[in-house]
Amino acid sequence: MNRAAPAGERPPGAIPPSVAVTGAVSLLLVAALAVPVLGHPGFRAWQTVCVALTVQALPFLLFGTVVSGAVNAFVPERVFARALPRNPALAVPVAGAAGVVLPGCECASVPVAGSLIRRGVAPAAAFAFLLSAPAVNPVVLVSTAVAFPGRPDMVAARLVASLATAATMGWLWLRWGRPEWLRMPARHTGHRPGHSRWEEFRIGFQHDFLHAGGFLVVGAMAAACFNVLVPRSVLDAFADSPWLSVLFLAALAIVLAVCSEADAFVAASLTGFSPTARLTFMVVGPMVDVKLIALQAGTFGRPFAVRFSAATAVVAVTCACLTGWWLL
Amino acid sequence: MVAAVRRHVQAVLLLLTGAAVLHISLLSEVYLRYVKEGLRPFLIASAVLLLVLGVVGAVRDGLPFAPRRDTGEEGDAPGDEYGHGNEDGHGNEDGHAHGHAHGSGPRVAWVLFLPVLALLLYAPPALGSYTAARETGNAVARVARFDRLPDTDPVPLALSGFIARVQQDRDRSLAGRTVLMTGFVTPAKDRAGTWYLTRLVVSCCAADSRSLRVRVHGAPAPPADTWVTVTGTWHPGGGGGLGTATAAVALDARSVERVHEPVNPYQDTTPLPR
Repeated sequence: MNRAAPAGERPPGAIPPSVAVTGAVSLLLVAALAVPVLGHPGFRAWQTVCVALTVQALPFLLFGTVVSGAVNAFVPERVFARALPRNPALAVPVAGAAGVVLPGCECASVPVAGSLIRRGVAPAAAFAFLLSAPAVNPVVLVSTAVAFPGRPDMVAARLVASLATAATMGWLWLRWGRPEWLRMPARHTGHRPGHSRWEEFRIGFQHDFLHAGGFLVVGAMAAACFNVLVPRSVLDAFADSPWLSVLFLAALAIVLAVCSEADAFVAASLTGFSPTARLTFMVVGPMVDVKLIALQAGTFGRPFAVRFSAATAVVAVTCACLTGWWLL
Repeated sequence: MVAAVRRHVQAVLLLLTGAAVLHISLLSEVYLRYVKEGLRPFLIASAVLLLVLGVVGAVRDGLPFAPRRDTGEEGDAPGDEYGHGNEDGHGNEDGHAHGHAHGSGPRVAWVLFLPVLALLLYAPPALGSYTAARETGNAVARVARFDRLPDTDPVPLALSGFIARVQQDRDRSLAGRTVLMTGFVTPAKDRAGTWYLTRLVVSCCAADSRSLRVRVHGAPAPPADTWVTVTGTWHPGGGGGLGTATAAVALDARSVERVHEPVNPYQDTTPLPR
C-alpha cells in the first residue's frame, strides 16, 4: 500500500525539508553579502528605478492582458480571418498598419500579439503588429511631436521607419521563420462550449497578467542595472562619430528600456547626437529592449525571443538609417 | 527549484499588487516618486481592477489559509498541480492540452512579490544626489523670449528658469538681482567649498530622469539630499559673461534654509516668494 509509507508521502503543497534547509542557508548567505550593498545609495537608486519602471508599465500591461484575455474568450476566430487578407504576405503590412489602433506602450502589445496567434492569426502578421503597435500609435506620435517641436519630419521618419521594420520582420519570418522556435504555453485556446466565457476570461487574464508581470519585473531589474551603472558622461564619448553614434544609441535604447511613450523626450535630450542617431533610438527602443526580451521570452519562448530580438535590432537600425538618410 | 504559483496564491498576489498600487496612488502621493501625476487615474483604475479580480479569484478558488470551495472546475484536483506545474514556456507541450492549464500559474510570478512588498512595506525614496551627480549637462530647452522678472526681492525662480536666463537671456535680466530657488543638495567633488543646488526632472518615469544643477558658492554644504531654499546672486567667474552660452551656472549664496521635500520631487516649480 502506498499510503503506508509515511516518509515518501507529504501533503500536496508542503516543502520538502532538504529544500527548506538549502533555502534558509542560501537566504542567510545572501543576507550577509547584501548588508553592505543595501546601504549604498546606488542600490537605493536601483530600487527606485526598478519600482518606477514596474509602476509605469503596470497599467499598460494590465490593459494589454485585458485586451488579450477578451480576444481569447469573446472574439471568434472568423473575425480575424475576415479582417486580414488570406495571403500572409499581404496580411503582414495590413497587420503592421493596424498597430495604429492600440494606444499604449510595448508592454501592452506582447500579450495581445500572443492571443492573436492563439486565435489563428498568421504568426508573421501578429509579429508585424507586435512591432508596429508600440511605435506608431497616436499617443506615441503625439509625444514625439511634442518632444521635437517644429520637426514634423522627425514624426514622419519615425512612422515610416517603424512600419518598414515591422513589415520587413513579418516577411522575414514568412521566409525563414520556423514554427518550432515558437514555444507558447499551451493554454486557453479560445472559448470552449460548456464553459463560462467570463470564467475563461478571468482565468486567462489572471495567468497572463502574473506571467507577463513577473517577466516585466525581471526586465525592469535588468534595465535598472544599466540605468544606474552607465553614467551619462559615457554618451559624450560617442557623439562625434556618425556611425558609432547610431550603433551606440541603438544599444542604449536596448539597455535603458524606456517606455515608448517617453523615449522621444529622452531622444530629444540627447542633443549631441545626429538626427539619424536619435531616430534610431526611437525606432529600436519600442521594438527591442531588455524588458521586452524578457516579456517575449515568457510569451513566445526563449529560442524565439533571442533570434527575433537580434534580427529586429539589425533590421530596425538599417531601416532607421535609410529613413534618416532619406527624410532627415 | 521554485514552486509554481498555485491558483489560490495567485489570488493573494493579485490582491497584494492591487493593494500596493492603491496604497501609492490613491491613499498617498508616493507614486510621484516614480511616475508623473498624469498616470494617477490609470494607476487607481488598475488597482481597482486587480482588487476586483483578486476578490473574485479568492471567492472562486479559495485563499491559501482558508478551505477553498469546490467549484467543480477542471484542474482543481489536488494532485493536478504537481504534474503540470511547468508552464512558463519551456517544455511540457506534450499534445494533450485537456484542462492541464489552470491549476497552477507561472513560476516567474513569484518575483512580482518583490516590488509589491517593497511598495507596501517601505517605498523606495525618490531619486536624489547619487543620480544627479552622475548626469552631465543641464536639460534646459531653448527659450524664445524672456518675460520681465517680477519686482519682488528676492525673485523666486525655478532652476530651469535661472539656468535659461544665465545662458540665453541677452537682456541680462539677472544682473544685480537676488534670486530665490529650491532644490536638493548634491556634493561637488571637483571644487572644494562649493556644492550643487539640484533638481531632477522626468518626462515619463524615474528611469528617464535628467538633472538641473546650479553650483553654489559661499555657503557650507548641507548634507547630501537635504532640500534647501537658497537666496543669492549670479556668480561670475570662469566662463563667459551673463547671457552667453558659456556663462557659469553658479550662485553666490546669501542664505541657505532647510525646507521639506516637496510632494512632487520631479517637478521644477517656482518657489513661493518670501
